Amino acid sequence: MGKVCVITGASQGIGRAAAIEMSKREDVDVVVLIARSADGLAGTVSAMGDRAKIHQLPYDLSDLDGIPSLVEDICREHGGIDLLLNVAGYADPRSLLDTTADNLVQTFTINVFAMLILIREMARFSDGRPAKILNVASTAGITPRPGWVAYAASKAAVVSLSATLAEELAGSGIKIYTISPGRTATELRRKLAPDEDPTSIMQPEQVARVIRTLLSDDELTLDGQNIIVRQQL
Amino acid sequence: MRTGMVVLGGGIGRRIGRPVPKQFLLLGGKPIIIHVLEKVRAIAEIEDVVVTCPASHLEATQQLIENHRLGSRFRCVVGGGTRQESTYLGLEALGDGIDLAIIHEAVRPLVSTDDFRRLIETPDENVIYGIPIPFTVLKGHDHVEGLLERDELVNVQLPQKFDRARLLEAHRAARADGVEFTEDASLFFKYTGEPVRILPGSDVNIKITVPTDTVIAEAIYADLIGRRTR
Ligand SMILES: NC(=O)c1ccc[n+]([C@@H]2O[C@H](COP(=O)([O-])OP(=O)(O)OC[C@H]3O[C@@H](n4cnc5c(N)ncnc54)[C@H](OP(=O)(O)O)[C@@H]3O)[C@@H](O)[C@H]2O)c1
Repeated sequence: MGKVCVITGASQGIGRAAAIEMSKREDVDVVVLIARSADGLAGTVSAMGDRAKIHQLPYDLSDLDGIPSLVEDICREHGGIDLLLNVAGYADPRSLLDTTADNLVQTFTINVFAMLILIREMARFSDGRPAKILNVASTAGITPRPGWVAYAASKAAVVSLSATLAEELAGSGIKIYTISPGRTATELRRKLAPDEDPTSIMQPEQVARVIRTLLSDDELTLDGQNIIVRQQL
Repeated sequence: MRTGMVVLGGGIGRRIGRPVPKQFLLLGGKPIIIHVLEKVRAIAEIEDVVVTCPASHLEATQQLIENHRLGSRFRCVVGGGTRQESTYLGLEALGDGIDLAIIHEAVRPLVSTDDFRRLIETPDENVIYGIPIPFTVLKGHDHVEGLLERDELVNVQLPQKFDRARLLEAHRAARADGVEFTEDASLFFKYTGEPVRILPGSDVNIKITVPTDTVIAEAIYADLIGRRTR
């Protein structure tokens, strides 16, 4: 039986590129795409080809309470989840004195809390089934980023929770992979660095190929580590 | 023959010297009782699983079972004031038609699925695990009072499997006599005299009793799962 792959943040950017890459894999039968924008999801689907069965799930991940039934529905419909790609991310860069509680809460809700709850529910429904989870952190989580304090701190949290859960889930058959991309030409990057020339930096397709390689069946030893994905210029 | 299981969910944990009962202590980030129950979940032949726990921790144990989605085979009952009483109540609570009872304790989280399978697959009805005693044992307290031949002794481990009806009879006889045993092979042998097969146990399947045991268990577990961060 083919694998079931769930991707958040699949309406654009790295998530969309990852969806396209994952749908090329012979062993992936079902790809579930999650993001708020139905149009964005439809755009991703149109670029994916028709080999795998694609399921679009428009969902706002800031609704944390709805995540358990979201995961349960996916597991019931498709028999479980083999690959979970936590790509969705939010950034609203502000300097310390301009940062609001809302900004902090929203950033951590999407980047950290929603991710954690998705992982918890997937683990709860895994019943010992081997699975892989890939969390997208950022180089912003491991080096200082003046002016992006909420985003950078949330990505540091992703690095930390991934390392912790890699150990906590080690006996359960679930492996956790973490990537920390550097600057990548997406909408989110445009918010963080509006004046940058997007053609001069890494493209989402390059990150997606790294994701695909990490999640291949041959890969055995890169789980539980924060893998930096940076283009050498 | 239909198989059920009693998991001794533990007492309120005075001996280990911590405010949290031992069965809820975390090993590798997971409550030790869950380490046991997850392995049992993988074995479909175990039809009914009764977890005995102190009344004060019944709800917390039920919540754990729910959080870890162990399923409807697993249920909790209030245990007794002693280990023996809890085993008895657990044996009684097993569903009608259960002929063979496996007994295990939450404080042996490093048991393997294979340990349970081997018990089930061994044709004898009454089977325990034992390992040799690698150190010298003597009789005595303040002074040496006598010698014991360690070659004649065995370190008794759990899980164990018994004919449920016969074990219940033995328990009733022990209750009538007011005698307490530290585990069921002794009680069963004493009151039935029937053969109890000993399978070779494992050094890894330690019992968490005193605080250093948790340190040892963490080290063994890290080794078992191939943890890399040290
Ligand atoms: N671009 C970079 O330079 C860079 C570097 C390092 C790490 N990253 C990380 O890479 C990941 C992908 O980002 P990207 O660069 O591809 O950015 P992007 O193009 O802005 O994509 C972000 C994705 O997250 C989804 N999302 C945001 N809020 C959501 C919500 N409330 N509910 C559901 N989905 C939501 C968006 O979908 P909707 O808007 O349709 O909901 C979108 O699909 C993020 O975690 C980001 O932090 C990016």
